[in-house]
Amino acid sequence: MSETLTPPATPTTTPPPAPASTPGRNWLKIVATAVFLVVLLLLPVIVGNGGVAYLKLAQYILIGAVGGIGLTLLVGQAGQLSLAHPFFLLVGAVGYAVLAGDPEESDDLVGLGLPPLVAVIGAIVLCGLVGLAFAPVAGRLRGIYLGVASLSLVFLGLWLGQSLDMFSGGTSSGRNAPVFALFGFEFANSTPAPTIAGVAIQKQQRLWYLFLAFALMSYFLARGAVNSRIGRSWRAVRDNEAAATSMGVHVTRVKAGAFVISSAFAGLAGVMTALWLDLVKPDENEFTGTYSLTVAIAFLAVVIIGGLGSVPGAVVGATLVFGLQQFFLLGSQQFGWFADAQFGGFSAVVVSAFVYGSAIVLVILFEPGGMAAIGRRLLGRRRSPDVPSTDDGGRTTPREDRS
Amino acid sequence: MIAARRAGRSALIAGALASSLLLAACGSTADTAGGTEGAGGVITDKGVTDTTITLGIMGDTSGVFKNLGAGLNAGNQLWADDVNAAGGICGRQVEIEVVDHGYKADVAKTLYPQLEPNVLGMVQLLGSPVLAALEPNLIEDDMLAAPASWSSEVLDNPGIMMIGTTYDLEVVNGLAYLQQQGLIADGDTIGHIYIDGEYGGNGLKGSQYYAEQHGLTINEAKVTSTDNDLTGIVTGMRGAGVKAIVLTTTPGQTASALAANQALGLNVPVLGNNPTFDPALLDTPAASALGNLYVSASNAPFSSPNPKAVEVTTEFKAAYPDAPRNAGITTGYTEGLVWQNVLEAACEAGDLSRAGVKTALTTLTSVDTEGLVDVLDYSSPGAPPTRGVYIAQVDGSVEGGLREVAPLFTSPEAESYVAPFQES
Repeated sequence: MSETLTPPATPTTTPPPAPASTPGRNWLKIVATAVFLVVLLLLPVIVGNGGVAYLKLAQYILIGAVGGIGLTLLVGQAGQLSLAHPFFLLVGAVGYAVLAGDPEESDDLVGLGLPPLVAVIGAIVLCGLVGLAFAPVAGRLRGIYLGVASLSLVFLGLWLGQSLDMFSGGTSSGRNAPVFALFGFEFANSTPAPTIAGVAIQKQQRLWYLFLAFALMSYFLARGAVNSRIGRSWRAVRDNEAAATSMGVHVTRVKAGAFVISSAFAGLAGVMTALWLDLVKPDENEFTGTYSLTVAIAFLAVVIIGGLGSVPGAVVGATLVFGLQQFFLLGSQQFGWFADAQFGGFSAVVVSAFVYGSAIVLVILFEPGGMAAIGRRLLGRRRSPDVPSTDDGGRTTPREDRS
Repeated sequence: MIAARRAGRSALIAGALASSLLLAACGSTADTAGGTEGAGGVITDKGVTDTTITLGIMGDTSGVFKNLGAGLNAGNQLWADDVNAAGGICGRQVEIEVVDHGYKADVAKTLYPQLEPNVLGMVQLLGSPVLAALEPNLIEDDMLAAPASWSSEVLDNPGIMMIGTTYDLEVVNGLAYLQQQGLIADGDTIGHIYIDGEYGGNGLKGSQYYAEQHGLTINEAKVTSTDNDLTGIVTGMRGAGVKAIVLTTTPGQTASALAANQALGLNVPVLGNNPTFDPALLDTPAASALGNLYVSASNAPFSSPNPKAVEVTTEFKAAYPDAPRNAGITTGYTEGLVWQNVLEAACEAGDLSRAGVKTALTTLTSVDTEGLVDVLDYSSPGAPPTRGVYIAQVDGSVEGGLREVAPLFTSPEAESYVAPFQES
C-alpha cells in the first residue's frame, strides 16, 4: 500500500458548490484586487522620497508575509506545528550571503561569488534540503510534539551561527549582505536614478519592487498548492491520518513534503531579511534578535491572527504583527505620540505589544477562523460550517481551506 | 466561470504592471548633491538651517538598556541645553531629535530613514546590533555618529566617533590596576566570563593580550546575554584556582557572578567592563556581594569628585529628580561635548555639511572634556581616540553606586596594545 505512487483518488464527483455569488460581488472582488495591486505598485510614488521609512516598513511586512504564507501551509493546511521558522530564515540569509558573497571580501569568510539570482534560488533550495533532513522527525511527529522538536532547530541555529563564523560572519559584526542584481541592474543607489512621477527610484524603491515580486510569487504558488492535489493531501493528513492512508495518501511523505515547502518559503524570507537589513548576523541570544524565539512566536501569531491555513489571512496577519509596532514607532516620531515615555510608561513598543497580544486573544475567543473568516464574511462567501465540503473528507470544521 | 475570473484578474495585473512601467519610463533625473551656503558663509546640507543644528539620537528607552539609555538621552539633552544657553554653536541653536528603537536592529532599520533626512549626525547611537545593521546606511549617507557601544571592531568605519576608550582597553587597564594593587601576579590563572558577540568578544581580546604579556592563563567562559545564573561557571573557576574574574556581561549576570563568588567562599576581585554595573543592582539581594567589583570605564563615575562631573550631575538632579542615576548621564554629556568640538572645528573651516563634519573630526588631536574622559585624539582612523580609564569600586553609600578608586590613567600595556583596525 505504502509503495504506491498513485495519486490519491480525488473525490470530486460534483463540482464544489458555487459560492453564493452574484456577478456584482465577483466584480467587486476583482476591482478591489486590482486597485490593491495598483496601490502596491505605486506605493513608492504615494509615500514619495520623503517617506522611505514607510516603504521600509512595507518591505518588512512582505518579509513577514512570505514567511507567514510558508508557515500557514504547514500549520494550517498540513496540521503540523512548527516553531523552527527562524532557523530556516537564518539558513536562507546565510546561504544567500555565502553563495553570492564576494570571495575577495575577506580571508575569513566563505563567498562563492555566484550571480545573486542564482544565490537566491540556491538559498531556497538549500532550505528545502535542510527541511528534508528534518523530515524523519517531521514525518513521524505531530502537534505539540513536533512543535517542541522543531524548537530545537532554533537553538541549533544559534549555536551554528556562532560557531561557523566563516559562513555567518560571527555574532560580533556579521557579514555584509551581497547587493542583489538582476542582469546587471543593481538594487542599490545610483546616479542618475530613474524616476516615476518625479520620485527617484533608488535602492529602497527597487527593493520594494523586488520584494513585491517575491511576495506575489509566493502568494500565487501557495494558492496553487492549496487548490491542487497537494493541498488536498495536506488537508487529508491533517484531518485524519488513517483515513488519508486508506485513500492512498503516503502520510509520512506528505508531512515531510509540507515541511520542505514551508522551509523553502522561510528560506526566501531569510534572503529578504538579509537584503532588508543589509546584514547577515547571527543572534547573540536565543530570545531576542532576527532569528530568535521571539520571531518564531511572531510567525505563529501571523498564522493564528490570519486564520489557520488561509494564504490571504497570513498576509493580513503579517501586516498586523510585523507592521503594527513599527508603524506606531514611525507615527510616534512623526506625530509625537507617546512623547512622555522617556522614563517608563506607555511607549509605542508597549502599546503595539498590547494590540497584537489582544488581537490574538480576541481572534481565538470570537473568531477562530481569524482574519480570513472575517474577510470571507465581508465578501459574503461564508459557507455554513455545518455543511461538509466535498473535497476534504467530510470535515465539519469551518472555513479556511481554499481561500 | 472560475477560469474567466482568473483571466480577468490576470489581465488586470498585467495592465497594472504595464502602466507602472510606463510611468517608470517617464523620466530620469540626477540626484542633487553638494551643500548650499547658509548664514555666516558656512556650507550646509542636511540637518542645519540658518538658526538650528539638528542632531539625532537612536537610543533605547524601552528595551534591555532602558536605564542606561534614558541616562544617556538625558545627558545629551543637558549638554544641548547648556550649549544653547551659552549662545549655541556657529550662531545656531542645537536641537536633538530622539527615536527609541528598543535595542532592536529591525526597528532601528525602519526608523533610520525617517530620522536621517532631518539630522546632521547622531549624537548617540546605542547598541551593537543596531550599529552593525546601520553601518551601511551611515557610510552611504556620509553620517558621523557617536556610538553608545565601545567595541574597537567598529573603528573601520570613519563615520564612527568613539567617545572614550574601547572594551579591550578597559580590560587591559583594569588588569594592570589589579596587578599594581598586588591582587594578581604574573603566571596566575584568571577567569573571563563574556557574552558572545561584539561586546564580549572585544573585552576578551583585552584579557588575551594582557595574559600574553604576563604569562597568565585565562579560563574562558562564553555565555549568551540571557543566561542569568553563572553559579556553575564560577564554581568551575574556583576549581581552576582563579585569582581574579573578568566580566564582560550584563548587570544581571554581574550580580549572579558576584553572588556566587561570595557564596562559594572564593572572594576574588572581579573586574568589570563599563556596562557590567547598573546602580539598580544595589537594590537586589546580591548587593552585599558587590563590593568585590571593580569597574573599568573611560568616563568618570556619577559620584566622581571631578568638578565638571559634579556640575553635570547637579544639573541632572535638578532637571530629573526622580530618574535613575547612572553613568549614562555623564557619558551622554561627554558625547555632546565632543560633538561640540567637532561642530566648532567644522564651523571654523566654514563647512557644516556632513562631509565637512567628518573632515573636521580628523583634525581634532586633543579634545578636552575637562576630565569626563581622557583627552581624545581623532587624527588616526582605526585607533581608539584614547586609552585612559577610571577605576571605580562598588560602594552602596555613594550616589550612582560607584566610588572612584583610581584617577584617569593609562597602563603601559594599554599603550602598546594594537587595536584591530589600527594602522601602524
